Amino acid sequence: MPLWKEYFTPTTVAEALAIRSRYGHDALFVAGGTDLVLDMQHGNHAPVMALVDVTTIGALHQIVEAEDHVVIGAAVTHAEIESNPLVREHGTALTESCGVVGGPQVRNVGTIGGNVAHALPAADGTIGLLALNAEVQVSTFDGNLVNAVWQPLLSIFAGPGKNNLGDNQMVTAFRFHTRHLGQASAFDRIMRPQGVALPILGAAANLTLGDGGLRVAAATLAIGPAGPIPFRATAAEQILQDAVALDDALIERAVLAAQEQAELRTSKHRASKEYRHEMVAVLLQRVLSRSIERARRDF
Amino acid sequence: MAALTLTVNGVSHTLEIPANRFLAEVLRYDLGLTGTKLGCNEAECGACTVIVNGRSIDSCIFPALKAQGADVLTIEGVAQQWVQEHPAAGTNGDELAHLHPLQQAFVCHGATQCGYCTPGFIMQSKTLLDRTLEPTDDEIKHCLKDTYCRCTGYTAIVSSVKAAAEKMRTGVLPLPDLPDAIAPLEQIGQALPRPDAVDKVTGHARYADDYLFQDMLHGATLRSAHPHARILKIDASAALALPGVHAVLTYADVPGELRHGLVEYDWPAFAGGAYPARYVGDPIALVVADTPEQAHDALAHIQVAYEVLPAVTDPVAARSPEAPVLHPDRPTGNLLKHIKVRHGDIDKGFADADVIIERTYRTPRTEHAFLEPECSVAVPAGWDDPQYGQHDKLTIYVGSQIPYADRHQVARCLGLPEDAVRIKGTVMGGGFGGKEDIAGQVHAALAATVTGRPVKILYDRAESLRFHPKRHATLIRIKTGAKRDGRLTAVQAELYGDSGAYASLGEKVMTRATTHATGPYVMDSAQIDCYAMYTNNAPLRRVSRFWRHAVGVCR
Repeated sequence: MPLWKEYFTPTTVAEALAIRSRYGHDALFVAGGTDLVLDMQHGNHAPVMALVDVTTIGALHQIVEAEDHVVIGAAVTHAEIESNPLVREHGTALTESCGVVGGPQVRNVGTIGGNVAHALPAADGTIGLLALNAEVQVSTFDGNLVNAVWQPLLSIFAGPGKNNLGDNQMVTAFRFHTRHLGQASAFDRIMRPQGVALPILGAAANLTLGDGGLRVAAATLAIGPAGPIPFRATAAEQILQDAVALDDALIERAVLAAQEQAELRTSKHRASKEYRHEMVAVLLQRVLSRSIERARRDF
Repeated sequence: MAALTLTVNGVSHTLEIPANRFLAEVLRYDLGLTGTKLGCNEAECGACTVIVNGRSIDSCIFPALKAQGADVLTIEGVAQQWVQEHPAAGTNGDELAHLHPLQQAFVCHGATQCGYCTPGFIMQSKTLLDRTLEPTDDEIKHCLKDTYCRCTGYTAIVSSVKAAAEKMRTGVLPLPDLPDAIAPLEQIGQALPRPDAVDKVTGHARYADDYLFQDMLHGATLRSAHPHARILKIDASAALALPGVHAVLTYADVPGELRHGLVEYDWPAFAGGAYPARYVGDPIALVVADTPEQAHDALAHIQVAYEVLPAVTDPVAARSPEAPVLHPDRPTGNLLKHIKVRHGDIDKGFADADVIIERTYRTPRTEHAFLEPECSVAVPAGWDDPQYGQHDKLTIYVGSQIPYADRHQVARCLGLPEDAVRIKGTVMGGGFGGKEDIAGQVHAALAATVTGRPVKILYDRAESLRFHPKRHATLIRIKTGAKRDGRLTAVQAELYGDSGAYASLGEKVMTRATTHATGPYVMDSAQIDCYAMYTNNAPLRRVSRFWRHAVGVCR
């Protein structure tokens, strides 16, 4: 049984959404396909009538700076993000997270839009974007026109592997704010050496330091997998922002809060809940200290 | 069907392809560019790496229509592109000068062994050297992270990439560092390239799946749904009625002896009739069809009525009198072989010991993970192929470690004299002990004989993992007595080897384990008992070093 019978290569968002609306559940968007094709081959996703390739839409390939934001099209590959100087300057956590997805051949094909739309709580690219407080552009087709709306990244996740986009909707871009003075981010993860596609745990921190680098003015922290959808460690963020001074004791308190808030699970092929609990501390300390070190270079 | 236009190695092609075809399939089977290899089929091993518009990709899961209008470079085009861009390259009289520096370096540094991974490595390394001619070890390892080699251990590959970069910088290819030889001879003490190295770095070496015969049919295998089950009925009528299906073969179609084997004839070519399925890899039927897709799709239309039997999956449990018996015709039940070592007086040995240590160890079964999944292509006697010529005998093209044993077993099952069967040993993409047993050889030969056409049977990675024999899982109880000064006085050991459903080379492997259980040490006494047991697991056999590692763990 063929996994799909028709393969569309639209060149505009409107065309892509029109095809998808016409076919409903009988069509799927595909970008790099490095997750979707394997899921279909392994029987985790039923065959469909049609695949709609969104990488042929030229407008989804740009990385630009616009209105104090870095805007990244949904069909930009992990390799393109990894090597982009704009992203490295303003969103180091995303550079680092996209740089470890799969291997080079997969990064040359897999896209940031696919990474996010797949809605896995452990997805590296998603964790990087989440820490950057990124917004997602969702484009909706009403039969005639496409309406593109920026919304918080977390708003599109419905559960593990499920987004809440309709048949007439697609992810078309991401954006995050350009760097303020004293702001820096970092990503790291813990991974089995080979053969498992997802990490044991990934984490990213994005800090803005004030008072010449001596206190935290703003913090966003993302950890995954730590719940059914991508996870922001909001309790730890609050502790960091509320403190008058940035010291080791503060980081320890933030780590404890993150460990408490994270919903960790045991997964058969990756790690136990207990191991992940300890690794939350290891990873958060790493990404926080790297972010602090980078941010203090501004002072 | 969809139209695909693309440029491959500078040549433009327009093809009509099914919309679900992958680029690797188009390159290999539609364009005959078989230098691009399929190893895992899931973007892990990198054997299928090609360069599309300057970026390396895994072509195994790259929908071919993504390459619409693209410029594709495969291993077959690398040398030609290099020479075109460097017209002086081929003029210095060096016999490798017509190759890309990476290809030259892989030949001279011994970075190609079985060669199956080599095209992927060269393509992926090329993307690094396109960016920098001074790559560090870390950059090379980062670049090759998802490109797997099972033979070299990567050292020669890393040194080849560096050597190629140096050649591209300086025009001179550095040769590998060799250990000092007292007096190098013409051959001994020299870094000699493998005779087939140039073929392997250019993608011209032919592995079994690279043979594309005219009018070739394709086989797909239905395997048991249960680890132990009697086959009551096989109804293939629905499968036979499907378009493109030429035959569905079962045990009843085997003209000669149904059972084959390397040491014991205990392994039926098909489960059914007198022989139950004894593990989930046992074949029940073979569909032969025009295309691999038709053959695989037809499997779901074969109805098999099973009588499920109790299964034994643990070698210790298999020795119990209550255990289900796998081979009722064997006088020793599930015991394949009891192997004994007796040396000295074991009681005295322990009495003399100052320290006695007793432990139980388990080792897991181990997969060979050769990068080339098994493939057999059989051509019937009398077949004249425009590319490969006249075949005077039933001929099987297979990457096999023991072609003569293949010939014996194929002839036995087909009821032919051995000299009516020819095995053409093709280049083999890794074996490590995993390509000694019959895989598709008998089935392909039977299918070619029945249909009168060439038949290819290619397993994908998942099927290969499911059926082919692995290294034994073992349970080892070992009791060691020693003097305070370090001398051993006694070793008493009991080994249980899970030999799986069929003997294969199980008893030989376990004999080696038994005789190595004392390690390389002198001792006063030893008493070792090894029980190689039949179970309803996949058969077990040797992996390279013939098993000694497992007892090595216990020393």
